[in-house]
Amino acid sequence: MARAAADPLGFTDLNARVADTLQRLRQAASVQVGCSAKRAVWSRGKTTLYRYAPLAPSGAAVRAGKPARPILICFALVNRPYILDLQPDRSLVRRLLEAGHTVYLIDWGDADDADRCTDLEDYLEWHLAGCVAHVLQSHDLEALDLLGVCQGGVLSLCYTALHPQQVANLVTLTTPVDFHAGDNLLSRWVRDLDVDLIGATGNVPGEVLNALFLSLMPLRLAQQKYVRLLASGADQRAVEDFVRMEKWIFDSPPQAAAALAQFVRWFYQENRLLHGTLEIGGRPVNLRNIRQPVLNLYATQDHIVPAAAAAAMQHCIGSEDYQGCAIDTGHIGMYVSRAAREQIPGRIISWLRQRG
Amino acid sequence: MSSGFNPETAFAGAAERFFDMMKSFSAQPGAAAGAVPDAAALAGSLAGQFEQWLRATQSAGPWFSPATGGAGNPAGIAAAFNPGAFTQGSFNPGGGSWPFGPLPLGMGAVTPAEGQRSFELLSQLAQLQAQLAGHWHEIATSAATQFAARLGGLAKGPPTLDGAMKAYELWVDCAESAYGAAVRKDDFARLQSQLANVSAALLVEQRKHAETLARAFGLPTRNEVDALYGQVKELRRELAALAQGRHREPVRKEPERTRVKPRGAKGVSAGRKKPGRGARRR
Repeated sequence: MARAAADPLGFTDLNARVADTLQRLRQAASVQVGCSAKRAVWSRGKTTLYRYAPLAPSGAAVRAGKPARPILICFALVNRPYILDLQPDRSLVRRLLEAGHTVYLIDWGDADDADRCTDLEDYLEWHLAGCVAHVLQSHDLEALDLLGVCQGGVLSLCYTALHPQQVANLVTLTTPVDFHAGDNLLSRWVRDLDVDLIGATGNVPGEVLNALFLSLMPLRLAQQKYVRLLASGADQRAVEDFVRMEKWIFDSPPQAAAALAQFVRWFYQENRLLHGTLEIGGRPVNLRNIRQPVLNLYATQDHIVPAAAAAAMQHCIGSEDYQGCAIDTGHIGMYVSRAAREQIPGRIISWLRQRG
Repeated sequence: MSSGFNPETAFAGAAERFFDMMKSFSAQPGAAAGAVPDAAALAGSLAGQFEQWLRATQSAGPWFSPATGGAGNPAGIAAAFNPGAFTQGSFNPGGGSWPFGPLPLGMGAVTPAEGQRSFELLSQLAQLQAQLAGHWHEIATSAATQFAARLGGLAKGPPTLDGAMKAYELWVDCAESAYGAAVRKDDFARLQSQLANVSAALLVEQRKHAETLARAFGLPTRNEVDALYGQVKELRRELAALAQGRHREPVRKEPERTRVKPRGAKGVSAGRKKPGRGARRR
């Protein structure tokens, strides 16, 4: 009683809890990210195409008596793709593999000074096109299933519009189309950016992007989550889960100057994808060319890609087989939250199964 | 991985700030006597800490100085502009190297006119930082007003750990609400762009000086390297156009055996040439 009266806020207990959590964090420092076996099957420049080892018997996923088409995952340039295979119980890749799909993943690697002039045409028509060609030739197919995530979804939309014959089904996850829709703080902040100047300074370090993303909600993202960790009395496993996420959040690769400058100007500032004025390598990117089935998954509480930015896709593409699916979570929650784990893999698998 | 990541340091920093906040609770006049805390005084104290934190972590500076930001270093676009101001786990305004200004070296020493441009930009940057500080004050004040108005029931009774946690969550709500409202205003958005533009202009100025030195030593300049890249790209386009009608080499089917390879490992390369537009044409 005397101690409680002297320390009503429990500083003594809190101190002990801080020490305990710090110890757990130290033990979790070497935690691994990325859980499924994969091997590099193709590379160009810094880009590497991985193929995951199957987890289900061959032919488990079928379409009209034939094996299901391979799925090529095109992730964003601004983050690492291992978030899709973070750990066994938080892995979209694993769920797809367990359902019998053949899964390929593009890792764009780390742009260095040799890549500062690498632009969006290079990424689309040289790197992504190379990955697609490799998968198609390896499986002797005319078309594959493309799964684009976030900025990778934008690239996937552009690629599908430019090469519609190579994509049988398109799945997009947290993919903006209208960059001025909804409460898009990033879009507001970069509206007056001099992209020529930014492009001239060289590649943008990952740390700059990290800080930019955190500054959208600084107190929540840079303080509150640690206090909650402290308050939750997390056990070792929970701390390891936390550290895996932290590793990913602070693991942004550097961005090629030219590509980033184009992305900011064409998409964030000029909203060209929505307006139909985007050209890649001199060729118009017309989203009406996208006539294949499209499944568009987005988050209702996304602070980076507002739901309205993603939902706008429906009115821009030419497909008559469009399915939008709003998940009640945030941007990162789309990859690791319970809601996402329970809904997203199942929806993708069943949607693909229905389309064959 | 970004160089500054260290969850342990990040956690320790956040815990330290949380303890500071908890001290604000116990430092209230009513707390010692087990009476109701003074909401206005508590809000004022929290607002002061918040403004200090915003100033420390989001002070604007040059964009691309050596980056050391990380989990322990609270965020901010402006912090991104001055990541050199941080060391792991603590803010250290003097810790970052200041990369701008004329290079004073040898034959490439800058002309007075070039130096003048850098100083003009530095002056602009200082003005913009002052504007930013005004925003942080406005945000902290607004957060305090909201917090004092909403604390209500939470302030009833003597302070407890549970009550402090609830008050903390409320404080975060109020602070984020105030921050969110301010940073969505047009003038703030313009300011962020201006900070980035001026920082980038400073870096470009410095690069000009470095290019002068490079030329003096017979080294290729950035512009010359970029021009070479342009030529390579053009050649690649021509090659792709030539390859489009050509018979494609069959790709060796991949064996099902798989193994994990580390990031960046090169695998079997199936055709290194650019597939060209509409690569899969038959």
